[in-house]
Amino acid sequence: MTFLIETIDVTASGREIVRRKEMPGSELGIGRDAANAIHLDDLAVELNHARVTQREDGTLAVEAVSSLGFTVEGRHTNSAIIDPRGGGELGFGNYRLTVSQGEGGVPAISIRVAEAAEGARADKVGGFALASAMPSKRVVAWVALVGILIAFLAVPIFSHLTRDTVKPDYDQQGAVLMDSSWSTGSLSLAHEGLEDNCEACHVTPFEAVTDQTCLSCHGELSKHIDTIIEDHAKPDRMAPARGPLPWGDQIQWDIAHAFGKSGPGVCSDCHTEHEGKTKMQPAAQAFCADCHDSLDKRLTDTELGNAGDFGTAHPQFKAVLFTEPGQKDPVRLSLDSQPKEYNGLRFPHDVHLDKRGGVARMAMRIGAKRGYGAGGMECKDCHRLNKDESDYLPVEMERDCEACHSLVFDSSGGQFRSLEHGDVGKMQAALARLDRAPRRPIVTDRRRPGEYARGGLYYQDFGQPQRGLIAINRALSRGGVCGDCHIPTSKGSRAGVMPVNLPDKYFIRGFFDHKTHEKDAECSDCHLAGQSKSADDLLMPAIKQCRDCHMGEADKKADVPSSCAMCHAYHPRNGLMPAIDPHRKDKKSISDRKTIAGILPKQRPASRAGGE
Amino acid sequence: MASIPDEKPVGASAIEQRRAADHSSFLTHRKFLWLWVALASCIAAIAIYFSIDVQPRPNGGTWYGYTLGTIGAGLIVWLALLGIRKRNMSEGHWSLKAWTSAHVYLGLSLIVIATLHTGFQLGWNVHTLAYVLMMIVILSGIYGIYAYVTLPQALSDNRKEMTTEMMVEALTSIDGQLRRAAQPLDRHEADTVIAALEQDTFGFGLWTRLANRYGNCATTRALDAFSGSHGKDSPQETVRALLARRKTQLDQIRRHMKIKAMLEVWLFIHIPVTIALLAALTAHIISVFYYW
Repeated sequence: MTFLIETIDVTASGREIVRRKEMPGSELGIGRDAANAIHLDDLAVELNHARVTQREDGTLAVEAVSSLGFTVEGRHTNSAIIDPRGGGELGFGNYRLTVSQGEGGVPAISIRVAEAAEGARADKVGGFALASAMPSKRVVAWVALVGILIAFLAVPIFSHLTRDTVKPDYDQQGAVLMDSSWSTGSLSLAHEGLEDNCEACHVTPFEAVTDQTCLSCHGELSKHIDTIIEDHAKPDRMAPARGPLPWGDQIQWDIAHAFGKSGPGVCSDCHTEHEGKTKMQPAAQAFCADCHDSLDKRLTDTELGNAGDFGTAHPQFKAVLFTEPGQKDPVRLSLDSQPKEYNGLRFPHDVHLDKRGGVARMAMRIGAKRGYGAGGMECKDCHRLNKDESDYLPVEMERDCEACHSLVFDSSGGQFRSLEHGDVGKMQAALARLDRAPRRPIVTDRRRPGEYARGGLYYQDFGQPQRGLIAINRALSRGGVCGDCHIPTSKGSRAGVMPVNLPDKYFIRGFFDHKTHEKDAECSDCHLAGQSKSADDLLMPAIKQCRDCHMGEADKKADVPSSCAMCHAYHPRNGLMPAIDPHRKDKKSISDRKTIAGILPKQRPASRAGGE
Repeated sequence: MASIPDEKPVGASAIEQRRAADHSSFLTHRKFLWLWVALASCIAAIAIYFSIDVQPRPNGGTWYGYTLGTIGAGLIVWLALLGIRKRNMSEGHWSLKAWTSAHVYLGLSLIVIATLHTGFQLGWNVHTLAYVLMMIVILSGIYGIYAYVTLPQALSDNRKEMTTEMMVEALTSIDGQLRRAAQPLDRHEADTVIAALEQDTFGFGLWTRLANRYGNCATTRALDAFSGSHGKDSPQETVRALLARRKTQLDQIRRHMKIKAMLEVWLFIHIPVTIALLAALTAHIISVFYYW
């Protein structure tokens, strides 16, 4: 019996070299050992790997000698029967042994190296490049490109275009996705609630935030009255007041207009957003002075005086007041004109503040019961601070005067009867009802001493019952219970008093915080009340007084260098304190009075003052 | 001939000029022209930044912010065009070297221009994303300059006048000898040799290549396995000697791979991140105008 062995080598050029030899015998060994009939110099092959035995029926039995098996037609096995007539392929390491029927029925085994192993090292120089060990730059670039464009562009734009447009709500979250990634910075504290609601302001794509958008919350229809912002001035006054822009600014605006920005004079000029969680800083003096230092040159019909610097270029203060009896509307007059006030009252401040006068005595006597100090009357006894302590509440007769200026006119059984303040009709009726019979005096038989005794300066004679009707007339005349403070008048046939026109505020265009001044100044430093003999005196300080401490922003010698914004707000606040942050929890500095109508002096209603 | 083509100047001075250009690096091109241009731009940008009073504080949305932003965006696009430019050949003042020189120095000036454009206001948003990507690109570029200046010499030193093909050939040759020498070995010993032979020389990742630490090097393991005492003429000794030679050759190849990795690694950041930057820049610009 014989085997026909063919060894096929492939040259570098691809040509096959076939070597044939015949091996007598019915058995042959396969292995790395050169003693084997089929010697395979592959280290993956065992020294003695397998044995092939020719069987009676012409088939070949292949048995693994070692523990390593081999493959038959690609399947791993340890033993196999191959029929040379049908052929078959055995695999040992890199070698492939093809079994077939040779000439004369001799089983033939041809040996060749598997092709893959042959070219294993082909083009390995490319492995030196890092590219062989890294993901493709192109693939990474594409993934990053597409990822960024989708996440930061496509998603926000799509959700913005397809959102339901709703009225902006400060407390609601916006519907646009991923647009927080577009925010260039935190919003100011006032707009904090809109942080997640970009489309509240950025309504239309590629359209700059408009004043209209701002006014959707800050306009007159705002549901929160605190957020209403009033114009600095009407636009048709602003433009001429501003005058032609410097060329640099003009170029900037031209470019800005080309990009669809509006202005100058729109909200976003000053209210730039996304600058961090801050409050808006007060404007610098120059910002105001740009227009106001020579306003009359450009706005020839303006009533405003030029103002460029509080220390050196600011008009005298103007006070709002009534100057004549029966005046319907108040007038606003410069303090330079030394205006006299007509408020319908008689009130000598000097008498009340005189430390050695009768008033002081009375105050001492009434003393602690009403909170008066031992040294006589002080300003605070009648002028009480408002809630935020920036200003004073209006004087109220019942609270601030009646302790001394008693309206008691009768007593019976230990009970006192008082006249009702503010209603002349009721006063007359009460006095008319006085018992006409002779009656004991209100006080005991003991006479009051000094000026308090009958006939003395402070003796209040409410009239004897039998003189009730006379008392009515006396009450209204000078020295009477009403006429002591009020100026009598009559309308038609009815007696009454002049309406009281006391302004809550005299200076309505600037604000003034009494609280911050009380540390360094007495009331009398600015208000010369101690020397005022008449209620006609306007006790408001002129600008000279303020300049003792306050000078312009750039005046470094002044105690308090002061920019315009110290007293004035850009948006008219009508004398209210600034620092209005309508959304903050602490609303301490926000006055209850919201509109100019609320603070302008006005005539008291007739029912309070009596006559009309 | 009536005229001489002016784009091909002849004469000694022209040739001299071309030679000089040929032999100076992109860094020193034309006596650092682009370095001076970039420096001047940066100084001007910084001077203007601090001389103007922007209220309430500097940011990209002021006139100067938009100006710097426009310049910066233009620069980024132009710098990115190097990728296209380098695939086309030309010479003269706008040779690839001139272009690369400008690319390097103007790219560096972007650090100043773009940072001033931000007004130092950074946050978690697409705008800062673009800025950060740009800085990554620039920093990787700086590393790239360092690599291009220093590493080719190291690469050349390591070659020892061999080409990479020769290194692989040498290894293949040693492997062939190993394969033959290992024929008498028993199975266990043969297996360690096979493992050494079959391990893919280049089948290692970035970090292994950069660190040049091949913890599971089969050749080293095989060397260890054959390190015991063998007869002088024993096949084991022959195999050990061959493995040692294989290791030496591998070491050279691996040093080459390390230097090459150091030389190329920045490009795997520089280029994909540049593309990402272009995307982020697009998103940055469009978003600003979309929410105008």
